[in-house]
Amino acid sequence: MTELGLQPFLALSAFLFACGVVCIASKRNAIGVLMGVELVLNAANVNLVAFARYNPAFQLEGQVFTLLVIVLAAAEAAVALAIILNFYNNHATVDVDQADELKG
Amino acid sequence: MLNWIDTNPGRIYLVATLLPLVAFTLLLIGGGIRSACRPYRRQGGFADSLYWIFGGDKPLKTGAYLATVLMALAAVLGVTGLVLVLTDPSEGSLREDRWAERLTSWVHLGPDLPTPTEWDRKRESDPTPPPLVALKLELGYKIDHLAAVVFAMVTVISTLIFIFSLGYMQDETEVVVADHEVDRQTVGRHASGPHVGQHFQRRGRFGRFFLYLSLFCFSMLNLVIADNLFQVFVSWELVGICSFLLIGFYYERPSASTAANKAFIINRVGDAGFLVGIMIAWTYLGTLNFEEMFTRVRSPIADSHGVAQFPNQLIRANAAEPYRDGTPRYELPPRDEFGTGSHLILMPLVPEEPSHVHSPGYGPHRDQDFAVPASQNVTTYGAIPYWLFVVMGVGIFLGCVGKSAQVPLHTWLPDAMEGPTPVSALIHAATMVAAGVYLVGRSFPLFAPEVLLVIAYIGAITLFMAATIALVQTDIKRVLAYSTCSQLGFMMLALGVGGWVAGLLHLITHAFFKALLFLCSGSVIHGCHHEQDIRKMGGLRHKMPITAFTMLVGVLAIAGMPLLSGWYSKDQIIAAAMAYGLDHQHHFLLFLLPVLTTGLTAFYMFRLWLLTFTGSPRDTQVHEHAQESPRVMTIPLIVLAVFSIGVAWGWPLWNADASYLGEILKKSEPAAVAVAFAHEHETAHHYHLAAGGLALILAIIGAGLAFHYFSRRQPTPETMSAPGGAGYRFLLNKWYWDEAYDKGLVRPTIQLAQAAAAADKRPTDAPPPPGEPELPPKRFDLLTVDGLLNTVGQAVAGVGRWLRIVQTGQLRMYMLALALTAVLLLGILTALTE
Repeated sequence: MTELGLQPFLALSAFLFACGVVCIASKRNAIGVLMGVELVLNAANVNLVAFARYNPAFQLEGQVFTLLVIVLAAAEAAVALAIILNFYNNHATVDVDQADELKG
Repeated sequence: MLNWIDTNPGRIYLVATLLPLVAFTLLLIGGGIRSACRPYRRQGGFADSLYWIFGGDKPLKTGAYLATVLMALAAVLGVTGLVLVLTDPSEGSLREDRWAERLTSWVHLGPDLPTPTEWDRKRESDPTPPPLVALKLELGYKIDHLAAVVFAMVTVISTLIFIFSLGYMQDETEVVVADHEVDRQTVGRHASGPHVGQHFQRRGRFGRFFLYLSLFCFSMLNLVIADNLFQVFVSWELVGICSFLLIGFYYERPSASTAANKAFIINRVGDAGFLVGIMIAWTYLGTLNFEEMFTRVRSPIADSHGVAQFPNQLIRANAAEPYRDGTPRYELPPRDEFGTGSHLILMPLVPEEPSHVHSPGYGPHRDQDFAVPASQNVTTYGAIPYWLFVVMGVGIFLGCVGKSAQVPLHTWLPDAMEGPTPVSALIHAATMVAAGVYLVGRSFPLFAPEVLLVIAYIGAITLFMAATIALVQTDIKRVLAYSTCSQLGFMMLALGVGGWVAGLLHLITHAFFKALLFLCSGSVIHGCHHEQDIRKMGGLRHKMPITAFTMLVGVLAIAGMPLLSGWYSKDQIIAAAMAYGLDHQHHFLLFLLPVLTTGLTAFYMFRLWLLTFTGSPRDTQVHEHAQESPRVMTIPLIVLAVFSIGVAWGWPLWNADASYLGEILKKSEPAAVAVAFAHEHETAHHYHLAAGGLALILAIIGAGLAFHYFSRRQPTPETMSAPGGAGYRFLLNKWYWDEAYDKGLVRPTIQLAQAAAAADKRPTDAPPPPGEPELPPKRFDLLTVDGLLNTVGQAVAGVGRWLRIVQTGQLRMYMLALALTAVLLLGILTALTE
């Protein structure tokens, strides 16, 4: 089996990241935005494990940080879903464009 | 305790100085407790009983007696100390050790360093010289003959004044004191409200008076024993604040409170100069200790080759090409131009090599140039621009001008008569005004010849001007006030023309007879129920014989009649002035003015005495109620009269030069005086008799004229209050100094302040009263302070308003901005790394 090298992983990560950002920026549905956030986080995870594999200096750190990000993403999803639920209770919608009460 | 004093007899002075401070502290604490407990009186309990223990409603006399006893104790110590100083056989550094101590670890900002003398002793073990550090404030005392004599004088006179005050301030022991003067001065102020038809009333302030007096004496004594300029300055300011408190003792009277302010403010002007002098000394000389400053500016007495050519002189040099390493270099001018040069050479405090002392001069081993190292230490030479040295001297003298009431800062002294009379005696005789003359005498070696000339001229102008004003004044205390001004001028003049001993001798003798005169006037005022106008007196001799007789002694002494103390000192001053005038013909005015003034002095003093005590009474009401003062007041008068006669005696009695007190003072005369005025002293010796004779003749003429005008021709009250000619009015209005200051300084300052206030006044600061339109703000203010601040505020608000637009609340916009920014940053980074 031949080694793939670092670049394909980085390219995948960049692709995922771009997808995530576009998803966050374009979706009006709050759940969709949340999905975009997950994509961005996973792009970062791919990046981290790739470096852990190919750079000996990051062998341990890469793994640990990935685990950390996964846990973080779970927590974040829980909090975000709670906010969305509450928002829906108050406004009967999950359209983020309607959530502009904090604007300056 | 005895052992503690035996090793350092100077500590007697320390104890004596602290005694008045103890009195002050005790009175302060006692009074504080009493006023703190006052709300609880008649409520029972601990606070109530404390209140009654500390005197209750009636002013407590115990405190006053305590202060007097402690002051008397200080006087006993002062006189004992004087005797010890005179009989102490030790010489040189041993004497220094016995009579001087320094507390160096009081305040110092630099590293802890040994003083030069300490280092001199332990040089064997540690040969690196300590740097010259100016960042050190010290406490210390140094007793020489001058300090001992002045100390004894101050304590003795203060004690007598304390005793006198016990009688004079009797009114203040009452629970309620009615001050009619306040009603007279503030007509209409009590006309409305609850006080209609009532006199102004207040509580007696007996204890407070002695509290202030004690602090005053402590400050003065501390000033006398101080061995460094900073300690002098601290005491100087303390004396200033005490005089402020005492002059304004009757502060409900507008005249008293303004007089107190005036004294304080005018003294600040002088003190500003004093501070400049201190700071120059601090920066360039590196020390404020008197002895060390003298060592720095004056050349050493001897070098290791024997006696130096120019001992105790100010050595001036010109700046020359610096050394190759950049160290400044100075060169002595050619021999025939000695005494000129742009810089003054500062001597090392301690010679680098005790066996090989350099001294600047023109001998075979001459040192023509001086290197001034960048980092100075106690063994190196230095240099100060000569003009700065002159400024330093003038600055220190300016402080003395303020304190000793010399022209142009003399206007506070006559106004200071608003205080109770014992205060006038204390200020005018023993303490405040003496401080200025004492300091000039003390720091004499720091004065360049130019400064001495300034001192002499200021003194000469003051003595003449004040004497002419005193000729026509009608308030018994004001005549004496101007007389004090004039006599202080004599002292300053003497110091300026090289009569160091004469000036300080006059300081002592004058202190005694002026205290006597003031207390006599106090006795007259007390006896006449606070009448001070001599036009309403006359014929009081039979009513108050003791006062009249003792005052005559004072008058004779101040007029310079032979064999009284004033004669000895004034004779020496005139001789010194005459010698200076003869040696420097173009400064002949310095001789002419004092000689003329001796005649004026005799005239106005006899005028005062004759108008008060002889002739027929001009105001029967005053005369009928007049009475001799109680014994507690007359005994100090008698004691002071004895001192006024004999304090300057010596043997032979008829030789003015042989004054024993003068001989004592001579022992502490700085060597610089003899060096600077060698020729004048020679001349003075030759013309002594002529000068004294001339002064005496003029004094007798003055006295005779006074007798002619005020005793043979009895002046009527009408002629005395006539408006008189232009010259008379000019003198009566004190040469219009107050008016000139008012027009030239006070008014413009007030107008400037009002203009500034008007410019700043924005009607918008406060809401307009209802019914009136809001006025537009002043244009000036719009463009300056307010405008500037408002612009800043408005700019910030504008930026905020603009930034609000960006905050849409749209998540997608934020995300877009985030992504675009990230791309932008990446682009910038890429561009930069390539």
